[in-house]
Amino acid sequence: MIDAEQLYGRQILADEVHLNNAQGVQLIRRPALAIQDRWVLCQRCGQRTLKKEVRLPGNKFYCPHCFQLGRVTSDQWLWSLAEPNLFMPIASSPLSWRGKLTPAQASCSQQVRQYFAAGRTHLLWAVTGAGKTEMLFPGIQWALSHGLRVGIASPRVDVCLELAPRFEAAFKSIPQIVLYGDMSGTYEYRQLTICTTHQLLRFYHAFDVLVIDEVDAFPFAADPGLSFAAEQAKKESGALLYLTATPSRELQRQEKQNRLTVSYLPARYHGHALPEIKVKTTGNWRKRLNQNHLPGKVNRTLSQLIMKQRRFLIFVPHVNDLPRVETALKKQFPPLKLATVHATDPQRHEKVQWMRDQQIDCLITTTILERGVTFSDIDVIVIGADDQVFSTAALVQIAGRVGRKADFPSGLVQFFADSQTKVIREARRQIRFVNRKARQEKLIGDV
Amino acid sequence: MQTCLLCHRENLYQPTLWQLLNFQTVSQSPVCTGCWQTFEPIPADQACQGCGRRSAEKKCPDCQKWQADSSFSNRALYTYNAPLKRYMSQYKFNGDYRLRRVFQGQFQQAVKTLQADLIVPIPINQSTRKQRGFNQVLGFLEGVETLAGLATVQSDKSVPQSAKTRQQRLLTAQPFKLNVDEEVFRKKRVLLVDDIYTTGRTIRHAAELLIGAGAREVIGLTLAHG
Repeated sequence: MIDAEQLYGRQILADEVHLNNAQGVQLIRRPALAIQDRWVLCQRCGQRTLKKEVRLPGNKFYCPHCFQLGRVTSDQWLWSLAEPNLFMPIASSPLSWRGKLTPAQASCSQQVRQYFAAGRTHLLWAVTGAGKTEMLFPGIQWALSHGLRVGIASPRVDVCLELAPRFEAAFKSIPQIVLYGDMSGTYEYRQLTICTTHQLLRFYHAFDVLVIDEVDAFPFAADPGLSFAAEQAKKESGALLYLTATPSRELQRQEKQNRLTVSYLPARYHGHALPEIKVKTTGNWRKRLNQNHLPGKVNRTLSQLIMKQRRFLIFVPHVNDLPRVETALKKQFPPLKLATVHATDPQRHEKVQWMRDQQIDCLITTTILERGVTFSDIDVIVIGADDQVFSTAALVQIAGRVGRKADFPSGLVQFFADSQTKVIREARRQIRFVNRKARQEKLIGDV
Repeated sequence: MQTCLLCHRENLYQPTLWQLLNFQTVSQSPVCTGCWQTFEPIPADQACQGCGRRSAEKKCPDCQKWQADSSFSNRALYTYNAPLKRYMSQYKFNGDYRLRRVFQGQFQQAVKTLQADLIVPIPINQSTRKQRGFNQVLGFLEGVETLAGLATVQSDKSVPQSAKTRQQRLLTAQPFKLNVDEEVFRKKRVLLVDDIYTTGRTIRHAAELLIGAGAREVIGLTLAHG
């Protein structure tokens, strides 16, 4: 038995569903897997698979693409109830955020609100540290005060966990729920939902307004099932807004073909240029690292930073490189307070907090901290920037960790690589391009 | 592009020169070489003849202690290490039936060398069967002639075998019954096939039944020991 409220705009996978309070609602039941001639088509993630690949004994089939949320088989149904928008009426202005948008931010924000009202798909392309979240507030205020259901989703759980308190503070009167894979609580029906993009697979025509933050991040960018989930999680008349600082080729192509509208903001909210990437070439960083040494140029740069009492992030290509760099640094600079962090580190969130609280001066990390985190007044070092794990988007995001606060708008972005790869050149070019564009539009003042 | 079913990275097939020159039909493994090499095979001549684990002696210390029935001997193909555990969880608990193909070749070969009159897979109970949609052991034995000689006894199997402690496992009551006439097994060499040999309780229960039915010899074959 399940409460009707649990099913509003949701889809759950089951043989059968019984409702507690079934008056006046109509259960919708769709076959979980559509069976075609040679293919099966998953109705949850939209991916198709050759029948002969996924045939079970007894002529049943399953979807091999969306296991994480339980296997979809051809003898199951997806059950849902239409989204009724049954929310408590709220004051016309639920926004308790009292900050002020810059004129450029306000103009983007105005456009976003118009696309929300029109129920269209739109891309907000704003540089790292432009203040994307704040730009959403007016549009979301509009949606919430009209009784619409709003979803904010991101591929990264860290981003969700960082967004949640900001939305909670900005919309104090609105009940919200945060959903992600290993959360401790259970699902609740709320007007404002913040979740990972995987959780969107559990929604069906729920959101009037759905925002996908960091749309170019893994795994959303690599998984067409998640794009399908986003399309299906919003109402057919709902609006979908993509947010990113580094749109993928595919999104840029859609813009060129006029299939996607874009609002563009090439400057940070504090009106200072993005720090540009500096590159120093190393001999063979891989070899030095494997011997637990840092290349000489890295050592020199680091000792200068330490002398100036700067705090910094060091990005390395692989998890295995973390202990190597740590050993080398401890030998070279014994008094330096440092920590390492990677995706499956149980202390991941604590360590990031140490860095924020200035308990440590140096955090050595893999690409997991490339986006969604803000530290005040830091520099960034990338060792082995020519490694193939760093994409152009990743490098631009990494550079974007520097100078995010208005009080400390600049800092050093130093890459070390054996050669300037195409990926590195492209990242430098992108940053120079947005800075030039921002200057043209008189959005930034300094040189 | 073919992707490895385990690590989801690109799975390049590299046929040997011999295969190319020979115009043999070649079939691509569903997992990449990198994943394949993480599994630890147990060679037949380095295995305990009782339980099948990797052992320098003919009988491992455990089996020497547990001399009760020396008539049953088990052959395990792999050590149940972390990668194999991950594999089993994807295969059984996620229910990715495609993964049955990974070890089919190894099973076919083992079945051939063990030369039994009858091949009996260990059955799984009705509710698991319904939920999972397949018997994982039968998946390994696709294309091999098997006999559904055993059935599960309807028991209150609220706790699966994999969730019990060693003591609890050893105390498990007979979970099987014969599914065909006793006559079928008389004087036959029977091969029992299961996925994992842990304490041996399950497969030995099955063996006792078949010996009781008059089988001449019962041997076991499992994917893994551990």
